[in-house]
Amino acid sequence: MSDTVISHVTSEPRPVRAALIGFAVLAMALLVGAPLITVFAEALTDGLPVALESLSHPEAVDAIRLTLIVAAVSVPLNAIFGIAAAWTITKFQFKGKALLLTLIDIPFSVSPVVAGLCIVLTFGANSAFGGWLVANGFPVVFALPGIILASMFVTFPFVAREIIPVMIEQGRSEEEAALTLGASGWRVFFTVTLPNIRWALLYGVLLCNARAMGEFGAVAVVSGKIRGLTATMPISIEMLYNEYQSVAAFSMAAVLALLALVTLALKTLLEWRYASQLAANRRH
Amino acid sequence: MIVQRSPMPGFALGLGVTLTMLSIVVLIPIVALFVEGFSAGLPALWGSATSPRVAASLWLSFRLSLIAAVINLGLGLVLAWVLTRYRFPGRRILDAAVDLPFALPTAVAGIALTALYAPNGAFGSLFKEMGVKIAYTQWGILIALIFVGLPFVTRTVQPVVEEIEREVEEASATLGASRFYTIRRVILPLLMPAALTGFGLSLARAVGEYGSVIFIAGNLPFKTEIAPLLIVIKLEEYDDPAAAAIGIAMLAISFGLLLIINLVQIISRRRIGHV
Repeated sequence: MSDTVISHVTSEPRPVRAALIGFAVLAMALLVGAPLITVFAEALTDGLPVALESLSHPEAVDAIRLTLIVAAVSVPLNAIFGIAAAWTITKFQFKGKALLLTLIDIPFSVSPVVAGLCIVLTFGANSAFGGWLVANGFPVVFALPGIILASMFVTFPFVAREIIPVMIEQGRSEEEAALTLGASGWRVFFTVTLPNIRWALLYGVLLCNARAMGEFGAVAVVSGKIRGLTATMPISIEMLYNEYQSVAAFSMAAVLALLALVTLALKTLLEWRYASQLAANRRH
Repeated sequence: MIVQRSPMPGFALGLGVTLTMLSIVVLIPIVALFVEGFSAGLPALWGSATSPRVAASLWLSFRLSLIAAVINLGLGLVLAWVLTRYRFPGRRILDAAVDLPFALPTAVAGIALTALYAPNGAFGSLFKEMGVKIAYTQWGILIALIFVGLPFVTRTVQPVVEEIEREVEEASATLGASRFYTIRRVILPLLMPAALTGFGLSLARAVGEYGSVIFIAGNLPFKTEIAPLLIVIKLEEYDDPAAAAIGIAMLAISFGLLLIINLVQIISRRRIGHV
């Protein structure tokens, strides 16, 4: 669709087009571009060495390590859930399928803070179950398990939502053929299903990981903000910012902003190269 | 007749894993929220959800979220149109950048917007000269909510713009319609159901937003204190029932709004027929 094809009846007059493009570029630059540049500009106020120095501070290293641990546990668990849910929903007919799909989508419409609140009310020391857990030396809230649960709650539908449409489109004839030829269930999954959904799965995992590493609201409620123990990267950004350690806060923020940019780049790459193997609503 | 069983293996395992994880991570915690909220009875729940400070925060959250979603509706329609219909240098980068508010952690967006719009910030100092304060006022909250809700309408409308057949627009033009009339009476009605879906998602996201708002908000009770922040405050005061009441109120109002949006969608689909 080149410029020459655009005729005056199916497009706007040239000045209108130019004005709309200008408006779109300007709006994006002010709304999205400016905050992004601000993150890096503020981090580099005193130069790169100072910014890097603040990231090698023991508390910063602890925060980065904790965030990596949280992502390393919650993302694979959500991927397993996504695959199990997609397999069940797309390969079988059963009553309550629509309800199950609705339930899986719940975290999309729940505030992260409410998600954290739900985790606290279930596993916190004030609840019956939480009290029992604490008494047995396994505290969930204000500890690592709570942060993992909160991160899982907010990212719960990410992988399932990406692979379900792809698996519906692909149907089950390939799997049935493999079964007829005598392959075991697991063999069918690993040699037929998984290769078919690999790019959609990677896409979902990418989004899930970015959100899990950057989650703030839900984690803020369950973390208790104990330095070195339960302060993830986003939590330590808040703590540093409130202590007026602007450069340290923005240096940590810059690391997460870089993660966001890398995620976007990979996501765009997947959309270009493997468009046909991603969910239909991703093909633009 | 023998009921034919599915030849596919793994139903029990798949459903078992799905339901177990769903229950532990999502369903049981949400039930716990309602148990806590209703533990002192419905009158007590209603009482805490309508106490002046809570009601003010809910009103603030939903009012500003609605305004932000309306602005994002207009912005998203223009962005979707420009990104799919026009070809210009940098289009692909602009397209990818639409997702940045999704990808950028909310705490990062929060401190960046605050630095930008604070009275000594790049934008804040410009507004200060005009005598307008952005950061630490409701304007600041509104800007943060527009930021986080920006991608939704664009992303729901884009695929629909792609699918509109040029013949429809040509037919309209042949019949003597001006371009503006075609856009208003032919194209916009086609985009409306998807745009409303995006509007609803943007609204839901804004209502629950915490990280990008609390830094720029100022957090004064009755003025710039959003509902999610009040939940955090109530939890810190060990007032679990009040925190649960606000959470339940937010879920209930969000659910009601999404229901209304769905109804409008059904009506607008009926009016234009199925496409």
